[in-house]
Amino acid sequence: MPNLTINGHAVEVPPGTNLIEAARKIGVEIPHYCYHPGLSIAGQCRLCMVDIEKTPRPTIACNTPAVDGMVVLTETDRVKETRKSIMEFHLINHPLDCPVCDQAGECWLQIYYMQHGLYDPRMRDEKVHKPKAVPLGPHVMLDAERCILCSRCVRFCDEVTRTGELGIFDRGDHSEIGLFPGTELANKYSGNVVDICPVGALTDRDFRFAVRVWYLERATSICPGCARGCNIEVHVNRRRPHHNEGRRVARLKPRFNADVNRWWICDAGRYGFAFVDDKTRLLAPSRREDGAVSDATWEEAIGAVAGALRRFAPDEIGVVASPKMANEDLWALRRVLEQRGIRRVAFRVPPREPGDEDTVLIRGDKNPNSRGAELLGLDGDGAAILAAARARVVKCLWVFGHDLLQCAWDAAETDAALRAVPLLIFTGTNANATSERAHWVLPAATWVEREGTYTNFEGRVQRFRAAVEPLGQALPEWDILGRVLQALGVEVSAPRAERWFRELAGAVPVFAGLTYQSIGDGGAKLP
Amino acid sequence: MTAEKILTRNFARADSHTLKAYLETGGYTAWQKAQTLPPAEITEEVKQSNLRGLGGAGFPTGTKWSFIPKSHGGPVYLVINADEGEPGTFKDRYLLERDPHAVIEGMLIAARAIRSATGFVYVRGEYVEPYRRFATAVSEAYDAGYLGKGFDVVVHRGAGAYICGEETGLISSLEGKKGWPKLKPPFPAIKGAFGAPTIVNNVETICHVPHIIARGAAWFAALGTKTQGGTRMYSVSGRVTRPGVYEASVAITLRQLVYDLAGGVTGNGRLKAVVPGGSSAAILRGDEIDVTMDVDGLRNAGTMAGSAGVIVMDETVSIPEALMVVARFYAHESCGQCTPCRESTGWIYKMVRRIVEGRGRKDDLDTILDVARRGAGTTICAFYDGAVGPYVSYIEKFRAEFEALIPR
Amino acid sequence: MRGQDGTDAATRASTPVAFSVEQLAEVHRLQGLYPDRRAALLPVLHLAQETFGYVSLEVEAYVAALFDLTPAHVHEVVTFYTLFFRAPKGRHIVAVCHNLSCHLAGAPMIVAHLRRRLGIDVGETTDDGRVTLQSVECLCACEHAPMMQVDDRYEFGLTPEKVDRILEGLR
Repeated sequence: MPNLTINGHAVEVPPGTNLIEAARKIGVEIPHYCYHPGLSIAGQCRLCMVDIEKTPRPTIACNTPAVDGMVVLTETDRVKETRKSIMEFHLINHPLDCPVCDQAGECWLQIYYMQHGLYDPRMRDEKVHKPKAVPLGPHVMLDAERCILCSRCVRFCDEVTRTGELGIFDRGDHSEIGLFPGTELANKYSGNVVDICPVGALTDRDFRFAVRVWYLERATSICPGCARGCNIEVHVNRRRPHHNEGRRVARLKPRFNADVNRWWICDAGRYGFAFVDDKTRLLAPSRREDGAVSDATWEEAIGAVAGALRRFAPDEIGVVASPKMANEDLWALRRVLEQRGIRRVAFRVPPREPGDEDTVLIRGDKNPNSRGAELLGLDGDGAAILAAARARVVKCLWVFGHDLLQCAWDAAETDAALRAVPLLIFTGTNANATSERAHWVLPAATWVEREGTYTNFEGRVQRFRAAVEPLGQALPEWDILGRVLQALGVEVSAPRAERWFRELAGAVPVFAGLTYQSIGDGGAKLP
Repeated sequence: MTAEKILTRNFARADSHTLKAYLETGGYTAWQKAQTLPPAEITEEVKQSNLRGLGGAGFPTGTKWSFIPKSHGGPVYLVINADEGEPGTFKDRYLLERDPHAVIEGMLIAARAIRSATGFVYVRGEYVEPYRRFATAVSEAYDAGYLGKGFDVVVHRGAGAYICGEETGLISSLEGKKGWPKLKPPFPAIKGAFGAPTIVNNVETICHVPHIIARGAAWFAALGTKTQGGTRMYSVSGRVTRPGVYEASVAITLRQLVYDLAGGVTGNGRLKAVVPGGSSAAILRGDEIDVTMDVDGLRNAGTMAGSAGVIVMDETVSIPEALMVVARFYAHESCGQCTPCRESTGWIYKMVRRIVEGRGRKDDLDTILDVARRGAGTTICAFYDGAVGPYVSYIEKFRAEFEALIPR
Repeated sequence: MRGQDGTDAATRASTPVAFSVEQLAEVHRLQGLYPDRRAALLPVLHLAQETFGYVSLEVEAYVAALFDLTPAHVHEVVTFYTLFFRAPKGRHIVAVCHNLSCHLAGAPMIVAHLRRRLGIDVGETTDDGRVTLQSVECLCACEHAPMMQVDDRYEFGLTPEKVDRILEGLR
């Protein structure tokens, strides 16, 4: 393990660690554009210069591995002067159009100019002109004049997705990023090029001009789009509710986790949040009687559900839980089931089409918590429950989230089951064909409106946090289930997600010892 | 100072490019001798000869060869840089056309020294006739059994890009990519073409190797200076009486070259300036030509030997206009990889052109000098430093001429 | 009509882009010369240009498939080098060196003369498709300045009269 000193501080790093990463270890940021830890070294931007003892001139840190005894200085006058020069070179042909640039506020040209540039611009000649506002694909917009040719996006498509759509064409100051004419950037991870673009060259068509980034608030979260559980940040707009057509969730961004998704997320996950602010959201508890739907209070709804659970014999009750529910919800559900002795429970509802899958991140299982549901013992035979409903054995069916009419099960048979069952209860975030058949609908909060944990396919328990308040009267499932439990006569203390997790960890051996604190933002792998 | 002709000795023969002519003048005997020598001894002999790379950088050739890892088990490649492109230079064209077998023989010997079984000769795309001549010689060498017995040569055509003369740009281009120079480390001798240890030598450099082996390092070293052996081929052009290629010792002075060999200055007859080593070399004033043309001599004079392309300018030449032409070249040929070079070669050309067109601003000259100096040494390859040479020297040495063009 | 991408719409529609069996064998041979077959890309692009007249986008895509490369990777290469024509070119290419030694020897005058004689600007092709005029960087024949390349040949020591004689020889 090489031992070196950076700005006088000793640091030990694994062999092969470059100086940017070595410096980062002791909290020293070396400015850079082209370097990205998830991509090969390009060494093009020339910004990450540092002084190394016994080296005649500043050297790029990204391509310099730490060596035992190396003495590195990142803030010498010479280095500062070089950075300033490099900043000027980067901006010679840049249009300086920050007021109309969507990257403003999170642009590394702005940030580094303020930190390392602050020179008086001297370029008064006609700048090089290149294509502007070019849609590269469904998600990404290019402004080639703002591009600093760092090649991160090109390397991403070459090395991560291996799709190779992008290139740097021509040469000299006419070099530009682009696609082969007539093709588009539509790989499953295209949105990542926006994240790694350090400037305003690649922007997100979905997010562009929706909200200025300085109005956004962030919460750490987990993507609910598949069993991978990619770590994300949820960016929400609460301060300017009139922007973005009132939608609160502005965008999802990947959050680094070396063991899960590294720096990336797929486009399906990134753009899969529309349901949160969608018109189909269920906003209040409701009942359907004789074909007429009317709002109800939570007290009425909880009372009705608890009453049904009491009224029907345990064997007459079937529950189709969801692998989209958090561990906390599933545990609260299990408490309810145990309280009443209900045995007919399942969570798997097979999709009509097999889920898309690849070797990068995307999992075929489009649910974030199938593993959690398995570990909590809810893995029963869903088809058998529906068959029992059809046979009028099950008389009360409680469905969480699923649209049973849109799955691999025979729609006619499902339809028959839903017709046959005298009491259908639906708990979920958005209306669907199943909820429309329900006698009682209990609106649930979406994942960004609450906190909880998911267990990914590898058995990693990961926390997600509330970014916004639940819409309407929606409640987290654990809260709904806690109220039902209370109505069934069980004392439920302080209604918080964490309380349910603590109870779960105390009761289910595989989760033993885990706490919200120990899970933290990086997650915890189950034994 | 018109030393014995070595590289150019056969140029007068109309059939000098043929195997027959080459054999008649002692061709391939050095290769026969080399086959009796252990590889390390060949490298040592070349080291002792003080042969330095003649493509531009002037790096000691034997030392370069010795960087090939001894323990390397896989392939090692020998690449000949025939991507001649440095403005003012045309010597390699002569060698490819008039003495192609000297290149092949040099390659055979070098390949033995570095244990290479495959050589690539990268010929600039515009050199169609030199390419044909050389390819024909390669066929002859195969037919005669010099090639194909443990060493193969592939002749490769470039497609028009000055940067491919930079050794790692050449490797990228040879690999079928844009000619973007590669980050160093790793150096080509460790990880070069196709990821294997690679030696890149210039055409003229490799042509010296048979003579060094045949006649000994001491003989070769004695032809030059203390730190550089041999003769080299000077390409002389511009305002001189007899432009052309001249072979002479590396110890010849620039004055001898211009006046004795090339016959003196034309135009108005009065020397104003000379570019001594291709356009990337800093310009010398007419009173700065009493310097020897070896690598260290010109370095001490604040310029460089480069490719030994000598461009002569008489007093009627406009230095600002000359810089505009040179700046246009660097703007056009910048590969676009590193930011300082990509962004500023174009800008500096715009500024110089404005000055020449009478639209200069008072601070332009200082801006050019400052920008050029700030960019120097910050890029992956030496291309930008090669541009900075003329930017700075033309303006510093002829500043008044630039200022006279800027409206007051 | 030339399209935005520099290709000829009519040519795109009419000429199928495909090498002959013999040429494909040559492609295969070239690919086998190198440790990595991608190294044959420049030689194969030269072959493609000789065959199809210029390197259209269709040609790029066709060549990309021969190398298992994406078209973008080939486009990077084609746009980097000056010898690949991305639009139909004249039957003859006249490329005048405009670098320093040729400039000192009167290259601007030679270019001006050619523009007048051909009635086109640098970078353009005569209406009859006979000549494409270029002004290029150093061709490394500075001892014969001013000089130019006409197709495969170097023409030395140019004067307007010599240029006229050369042009007469181009059909």
